[in-house]
Amino acid sequence: MAARWALGAGAAWARGLLSWARPERWLASGSLFPLSCIHTSTSLQKIGKWEKKNRIVYPPQLPGEPRRPAEIYHCRREIKYSKDKMWYLAKLIKGMSIDQALAQLEFSDKKGAKVIKEVLLEAQEMAVRKHNVEFKSNLHIAESQTGRGRYVKRLRCHGKGMFGMMRISRCHYFVKLVEGPPPPPEPPKTGFDQAKEYVQQLRNRTLVHTL
Amino acid sequence: MAAAMAARLCLKGAESLLRPRALPGVVVPVRGRRKWPRVPEWARELSAEEKEWRLRSAAPIFPDERMERTFFLACTAEIMDPYVPPEGDARLTSLSKDGVKQQMQKLRQTAASQLALRKIKDHDPDFSTKTFPEKAQEIFIEAHNSLANFNKQKLHSLVTERCYPDMVRGNRYKTIRWRFVESLEPPRVVHVRCEGLLNRGNLYGQVTVRMHSRQILAIYDRFGRLMYGGEEIPKDVLEYVVFERYLVNPYGTWRMHGKIIPEWAPPKDPIIKTVMIPGPAPDPS
Repeated sequence: MAARWALGAGAAWARGLLSWARPERWLASGSLFPLSCIHTSTSLQKIGKWEKKNRIVYPPQLPGEPRRPAEIYHCRREIKYSKDKMWYLAKLIKGMSIDQALAQLEFSDKKGAKVIKEVLLEAQEMAVRKHNVEFKSNLHIAESQTGRGRYVKRLRCHGKGMFGMMRISRCHYFVKLVEGPPPPPEPPKTGFDQAKEYVQQLRNRTLVHTL
Repeated sequence: MAAAMAARLCLKGAESLLRPRALPGVVVPVRGRRKWPRVPEWARELSAEEKEWRLRSAAPIFPDERMERTFFLACTAEIMDPYVPPEGDARLTSLSKDGVKQQMQKLRQTAASQLALRKIKDHDPDFSTKTFPEKAQEIFIEAHNSLANFNKQKLHSLVTERCYPDMVRGNRYKTIRWRFVESLEPPRVVHVRCEGLLNRGNLYGQVTVRMHSRQILAIYDRFGRLMYGGEEIPKDVLEYVVFERYLVNPYGTWRMHGKIIPEWAPPKDPIIKTVMIPGPAPDPS
């Protein structure tokens, strides 16, 4: 009798253990669930800081203030490219207007150029639709940065049974578009300017803690 | 020999120990990989009922949880039998063919409205077409104020689930300033309907209230720039607002359900920025 009970209980316990592992409970959509307390949306994944910058809301401007230019932040994560190689393209387009940047990237031979171009087009679309930007060409690139993505170590087989560990590198790309024409480039510093600065430093010298 | 005999006897004895003859009706635990349901030889000829009883007692199978979710329809999905506002309302009336047709419709609507009104009064004896419009206007003003302040809880209690997304869509990163200046004409009830969903007894009452008022609306985008309207520009607005209540629910309240926009309504002001609508691609030929 005890043995029979143990057998029954054991089977029930095993069934109870595995009952949570039914595949139909792992559906991604939340609307098919009978239990509404299960959290199935993507908000458990971490939202990056750059994406959150699009959420700040400024208070309404008074009529006398100059018009605040719109800022749009966009990024793409885990691009299969090296961050150092991507940096060259990011530095190329920093400070350009968006049309010029798109033109330069279209005719660049690098792999990352295609990705950055897609990102810029997406950002432009977002700006016009969601962030109340009037003219899509009236944007310039204020910041463009690359970041390190998740690296993965893999085996690279050489001859004679030798192997090495290689890194598969990924990168992130961040861009900030600002409404308005691009700022004029800074004039290069001439010798005359440097001399003026030096003289000014000499003139700024003073005696402290004296009468 | 003797040892062999003794061993065989011992073996037999061991066998009987290892495999004891079980009494009928008792499941005997056997060593080795368990493959159930185990049906011993003497139990194979039993009737179906006894077999089921044995199976059930051996391994009780719990039925799967029914995937059920109770839902509660707190509001209808649309405005039932929408009110057709007469052409030229709040303007000089024009005696035209359309006007006469609409007057005919108006008579029909009044009869149905009286029926519905009676049904509503059965469920809610305090309802009256004289006092309701002021309450309705208060609900309207409160709802718009909580929309401007983004007070979602209060908005849910003042506005039905069908109306809520229409009001709130696209407002997430914007600042809305709304003010009710004054009411130009006293609001009045124009249209009453009462119908049931799914069941005949499951009644929802819908009342249309005509409001002519002056309001100020200004929408600012994410960066504080004016997108629509203006803070100092009051606008005269003629609206037909539908309020709904779930009559059978004793805790139901009158909530804003939607608006009826007549076809002859003047077009809305355009937004301040210019929008490009992409046309068809030009043909090289």
